[in-house]
Amino acid sequence: MENPLRSPYPDYNVLDKWSSLDWDDQTRDAVSRRLFNVPEIRFFTESEKRTLEAVVERIVPQPDRRQDERIPIVPWIDEKLHGDRRDGYRYDGMPPQREAWRRGLAGIDDTSSAIFDGKGFADLDGPAQDEVLRRIEHGDPPGATWTTLPAGRFFTSVLCVSIVKTYYAHPSAWSEVGYNGPSSPRGHMRIWEDGVDPWEAHEPPDGPAMTASNKAGDAER
Amino acid sequence: MTQGNGMGSHTRTAGANGERPLLAPGIHGEAVPMRDWSRDEVDVCVVGAGAGGGVVGAKLAEAGFSVVILDAGPHWDPLHDFVSDETASHKLFWTEERVTGGKDPVELGSNNSGQGVGGSTVHYSMIAMRLHADDFRRRTLEGSIAGADLQDWPLTYEDLEPYYEEVEQALQIAGPVHYPWQKRRRRFPQREHQLNASANMLVRGCAALGIPVAAAPVATLSAPHRDRPPCVYRGFCNYGCSTNAKSSILVTYIPRAIRAGAEVRPNAMVARIEHDATGRATGVLHFRTGPSSGHNGSELFRQRAKAIIVAGYAIETPRLLLNSASPLFPNGLANSSGMVGRYFMIHAGHQTFAKFPERIGQYKAPPGLAITEHFNRTMPDVDFSCGYTVEVVGPHVGDFAGRMSAARNLWGSALRRAMFDYNYYSGLGIVGETLPRLDNRVKLHDTERDRYGLPVAHVLFGHHENDQRLIDHSIGKMTEILRAARGEDVWGVNRTAHLMGTCRMGSDPNASVVDADGRAHDVPNLFICDGSVFPTSGAVNPSLTIQAIAARTADRVQAAAARGEL
Repeated sequence: MENPLRSPYPDYNVLDKWSSLDWDDQTRDAVSRRLFNVPEIRFFTESEKRTLEAVVERIVPQPDRRQDERIPIVPWIDEKLHGDRRDGYRYDGMPPQREAWRRGLAGIDDTSSAIFDGKGFADLDGPAQDEVLRRIEHGDPPGATWTTLPAGRFFTSVLCVSIVKTYYAHPSAWSEVGYNGPSSPRGHMRIWEDGVDPWEAHEPPDGPAMTASNKAGDAER
Repeated sequence: MTQGNGMGSHTRTAGANGERPLLAPGIHGEAVPMRDWSRDEVDVCVVGAGAGGGVVGAKLAEAGFSVVILDAGPHWDPLHDFVSDETASHKLFWTEERVTGGKDPVELGSNNSGQGVGGSTVHYSMIAMRLHADDFRRRTLEGSIAGADLQDWPLTYEDLEPYYEEVEQALQIAGPVHYPWQKRRRRFPQREHQLNASANMLVRGCAALGIPVAAAPVATLSAPHRDRPPCVYRGFCNYGCSTNAKSSILVTYIPRAIRAGAEVRPNAMVARIEHDATGRATGVLHFRTGPSSGHNGSELFRQRAKAIIVAGYAIETPRLLLNSASPLFPNGLANSSGMVGRYFMIHAGHQTFAKFPERIGQYKAPPGLAITEHFNRTMPDVDFSCGYTVEVVGPHVGDFAGRMSAARNLWGSALRRAMFDYNYYSGLGIVGETLPRLDNRVKLHDTERDRYGLPVAHVLFGHHENDQRLIDHSIGKMTEILRAARGEDVWGVNRTAHLMGTCRMGSDPNASVVDADGRAHDVPNLFICDGSVFPTSGAVNPSLTIQAIAARTADRVQAAAARGEL
């Protein structure tokens, strides 16, 4: 049985500092878009969206959060691709990002189908989905797509990193790891070992307690 | 004369052709009047407003030359444009497509490439180190190494020393009273910064092992300086400094340039350098975009100039020269040697992290406040030449999660749980010398074009086996240091840093692109002034050396103009 996803900082919410000296106007603008203006899906097809949502649930699972509290990932990847905002480079052998995502997502279903009797990725159970993703990560998955798209490169430098960075760009993720988040213009004072400014995340003295969302999850179960 | 002022003798009437002057963003949110040179033949046109272009442009403007500095990206208003957020800061990086390949493809984009006035100095880690005398004569010291092409620089440390001092003063570098690896040097202009927990960790680990260690010299203020305040340790240095404590080119040399009568033209993507029938450069063609320009990038503009200085860093500089091929220069401008784009170098940048019993909070304060250059030399008892510097790193939460996930193949609940310990991790990274290899290069991509229709850069890189041995050695040393500082759960991620080479300087026109003054062997009024002129990489962060070379190039351009050669 896995350890539960309990944050060591149950009493810390970075958004409590919204009106503090840590958040200047431009930062509030940028983060409020992330919180309140989650875009519609415009690039992915319905089936691509379904596959990617299932992948996201394996890369950064959020069983500890209610559906309406979960950090949205797919809409932001979709928005980047819709606007075709690039990263400044791509690897030899990788197509431009839009094509890489379309072919890569198709490839995930290819591999799923090849290993699990024609089933699509989204229709597998969790352990089976992890097996598909591990095969792709290791660079030797079955599936026609991967003869022309480098599987390991796609997994590591496109798929996984995009999901992980989108997750950890959200204030809910900042709160759970005790990240201070924005800090302008106030900055920091206690920068030494075990130094914690009063407005930073504090751990409860007797170890991590249950978070509100964990409690809600437990109640549902 | 209404156009084409004499070198160094132009008259400073405000506003070209009687028009109102332009306005540029000041560093405190104000609008600053700026000359408009777009209709004139200027004395000097600089391409790229970063570490090289900003310094050379400002110095030449102050010397009385008419100067235009073009940059492909925006002119930032630091107090209002820089956001305390990783994701919202992607606008600071070069995000136009490039293709990266070879045996060991280099990660580009946010890793090493800026866009916008100030260039990469807007998001650099500010570690302001000098090369050492030995770094200028690696070929002499190491001899010939098979598979590599080490060269001595056509400059010596003594040639650059006054310029290092000049830029250290201009940037008000904060550093220690005693710097162990440069015994004879003047005091740093500002006192060293208080060390953060990550820097203390490096100090503790090194002390336990008997390795000399010091506060890093960094380009951020530790005390007020003129109109800029000291650093408040907010820690977003790699995402743009929103308080102006950081001595980027944007807030130091660029205001000087504008004050001295230069025009800094943002959102101006240079497509090619033009020349006349005799092979002298005559100006640049560029696309303009952005709200302030009133143009959408569909038409080309010409900026005429008596001399051109290319400072686009080691990918865009060779790309521009290669894209400027003409019947007179069929292999690209200044490329009769075939060396444009060759000897592309990076620094080995392997990073090693560990978890500590104390809370670190690596996001606080500048990321690299302590260093050791103890391994920055060819060591007697190892199987490789050259060396590396060990520095502290401090990735914010998104970058750290990305690195840990990739390095440890970590995802799922295991990743989320591991990230709960984010505040207890600290890390080290190296700046390791890589050997110059002919086949490591920047060329034009066969098929890929940017939004203007220009061929993009195709970057090919593969490590020499000496690089790999150096990296392996550094992993061992970083692991020892982390463990000696009580770190556990050590893991590493293979990375690179910085861009160098591709237009190496040298005295032989058949084996180099520019001479010691940064002047192209083939084109007498064309200069290159950025990391691309490095014949060898050294093992320190390159920004201060680029700035010192730029300060020297400004003097050499002035001298050439005085001789009537421009």
